[in-house]
Amino acid sequence: MWDPRMRGDEGPWRPRENPLEELLKKLEDGLRAKAPGPLIFLLILAALWALSTCFYRVDVEEVGVVQRFGRFVRVAQPGLNFKLPAGIEKVTKVPVKKIFTEDFGLRTLRPGVRTEYAPPSREQEREALMLTGDLNVVIVPWIVQYRIQDPYKYLFAVRNVRETLRDLSEAAVRQVVGDKSVNEVLTRREILAMEAMQELQKALDTADTGVKVVNLELKTTNVPEPVQPAFNDVNKATQDKETMIRAAEEQYNREIPAAEGQAQKLIQEAQGYYAERVNRAKGDAVRFLALLEEYKKAPDVTRQRLFLEAMAEVLPKVGRKFIMDEDQKGILPLLDIEGKGGK
Amino acid sequence: MPRRRSLLWMILGAIAVFLWGGTFVVDEREQVVITQFGKPVGKPIKEAGLYFKWPFIQEVNRFPKMLLEWDGEPGQIPTLDKTFIWVDTFARWRIVDPLLFFQTVGNETFAQKKLDDIIDPAVRNAITSHLLIEAVRNTNRDEAELRAVIGEEETGSESLFIPISVGRYRITEMIQEQAAKKLLEFGIELVDVRIKRINYVEEVQKSVFARMIQERKRIAEKIRSEGKREANIIEGNRARKLAEISSQAYKEAQEIKGKADAEAARIYAEAYGQDPEFYAFVKSLELYGTALNENSTLLLDTKSDPWKYLKRLR
Repeated sequence: MWDPRMRGDEGPWRPRENPLEELLKKLEDGLRAKAPGPLIFLLILAALWALSTCFYRVDVEEVGVVQRFGRFVRVAQPGLNFKLPAGIEKVTKVPVKKIFTEDFGLRTLRPGVRTEYAPPSREQEREALMLTGDLNVVIVPWIVQYRIQDPYKYLFAVRNVRETLRDLSEAAVRQVVGDKSVNEVLTRREILAMEAMQELQKALDTADTGVKVVNLELKTTNVPEPVQPAFNDVNKATQDKETMIRAAEEQYNREIPAAEGQAQKLIQEAQGYYAERVNRAKGDAVRFLALLEEYKKAPDVTRQRLFLEAMAEVLPKVGRKFIMDEDQKGILPLLDIEGKGGK
Repeated sequence: MPRRRSLLWMILGAIAVFLWGGTFVVDEREQVVITQFGKPVGKPIKEAGLYFKWPFIQEVNRFPKMLLEWDGEPGQIPTLDKTFIWVDTFARWRIVDPLLFFQTVGNETFAQKKLDDIIDPAVRNAITSHLLIEAVRNTNRDEAELRAVIGEEETGSESLFIPISVGRYRITEMIQEQAAKKLLEFGIELVDVRIKRINYVEEVQKSVFARMIQERKRIAEKIRSEGKREANIIEGNRARKLAEISSQAYKEAQEIKGKADAEAARIYAEAYGQDPEFYAFVKSLELYGTALNENSTLLLDTKSDPWKYLKRLR
C-alpha cells in the first residue's frame, strides 16, 4: 500500500495543515538545499561527543562524586561508570584510598622507607618552634598522614581542606605540647604524638573536613640551638654521675675482697702460730720430762755427762780458747790481739 | 520563503537565549542571591540545583556556602604578666545569611578585612587580660601524675604545677564569643577561633634562652653533686669496711696468738716446774751451744770443769 504521508516531503500536492509543520518542512528543505553535508557532520560529531562524556572510568583508589546541575546525586565506585552527558551531570574524582602527607617544620627530600629530609627553611623553623607548659621553647617537627574518608564532606563542606588541616594540626600539636614539660617533649614523643593525633581528629571531625588522620608522628624533638649545649651538659652530667658511682663501686669491689683475704691470711697465720707454739711447748716439755726422769735416777753422773757432752760440742766451735792457770801470771803477753779467729 | 525562515531562526535564538541567560546552576559549594538591576529579589538560594531567572535583567551573585578560613596576621601582644609574645590565630567562618552579607559586606575580600578588624582586637583583648601561662596551657594535670612523669631530678618545670584557671581553649572561646556577635551583623557565622602559634618576641626569647641555660646548668650541677654524694657514700662505706675487716682480723689473730702463748707457758711451767734447778742447768748448756761460735774467745780457768784434769788427776 502506498501512503503518500510516508513520503510527505515529496510532492508539491501535500496538504498544508499547519503553519509550524510547514515551517519545519521549509527548514529541512532549506538545510538540505543550502548545507546538507557539513551540518549533519557537525550534528553527528556533537552527538558523539555527548555520548563520550557519558562514560567515565573510576580508578581503584578513587571514587567519583556525581553532581547533576550542581546538586550532589551519587558516589560512583571504581570501574566503568555511566552518567548523563556533560552539562547535566558532572563527575569529580576523589582519591579516597590515597594517603597524603603533610610536613611541619621539615621538608621531605625523598620519600621512601627511610625518608630523607632537607634542612628546614625559616618558615619551617617557625612552624616547629613552640612553647612548653613550663614556658620553655622547643623545636618539634612532625608529619601528618591522612586520607579522605568522606568525599562528600571533603568536596563540599570545607573550602580549603589542606590549609584547614595544616592550621588545625599546628594548633593540636601546640595544645598538647603546651601542657607538657620540656623533658617530656624531648623524651616522650610517642605519647605526645598519640594525644596530638586524637586532638587533631576531633578538630577535623568538628570542622566536617571528611578527613581521617592515619598517622601523626613527631620527628626528632630538640631545644633551640643556643640552649642545646646546656641540655647536652645535663646528659653529660648524668653520665658523669654514673661514672663517679661506678668508679667508687669498682674500687669497693676491688679492695674489699682483697682485704677480706688479707684478714683470713692473718687469722690463718695466727692459728699456725698457735699450733707451732703449743706443739713446740709440748715437745720441749716431753723431752725435758724424759730427761728429768733419767736424771733423777743418777743425778751427779748425768749432770756431769750432760755438761761434758755440751762442752764437747761447744768447745770445738769456739774460735780462740785460752786456758789459764792461776799459778802462772802474765798471760797477757801471750794474747795475739791482732789475730782474728782461730789459727 | 526567506521571511519565514528568518522568523524560525528568531524563535530558535530566543530559546537559546532563554536557556543561556535564564537558567543557572547552583553548585553544592555555593549559595546565590538574585539581583535585579543591582537590587536583591526573592530569597537567597541555598540548595544546589538548576534554577531559572529572567535573562539580562536579573543577575546571579554567588557566595561560598562552605566553611571558609581566616588566617590572622601574627601580632605582638603583651600578656598580663608583661611578656611580649607573637600570637598567630586562625578562624573558620561561613556565610549564613548571604543576603545580609551581600548588602553589608559585598564580597569575600571585604569580608576578610572585616574579620581582621573584628577578630584582631578580640585576640588582643583576650591575651592582654591573661597570664602567659593561661594562653600556653590548656589543662591542669594531676599533681601526682606530674611528679611521677617529671621525676625527682627535674627542676625548672615548677611552673607546670601552677594551676591555671582559664587555659588556651577558654581564651579562644572568649575571643570567639566577643567577635561572633559583631560578625553576625554581616551575615557571618564565626565557627571558631584558634591560636595557631604563640612565640616569644626576639628580646624575650633571648632572656628565656638564658633562663633555660641557667636552669639546665643548675640541673647538671645537681646531678653531678648527687653523683659525688653517692660516690662518697660508697667510698666511706669502703673505708669503714676495710678498717672493720683488718681490725677484726688483727683482733682475732692476737687472741689466737695470746692463747698460744698462754698455752705454751702453761705447758712449760708444768714441765719445768718439776725441777727448776735442773731446767736452768739444761737450758744453760743449750745456751752455750747457741751463744758460742768461731768468733768467740773463751778464757778458761784450769780449775774449771773439764780442765781441772789438765793439771792433775785427782
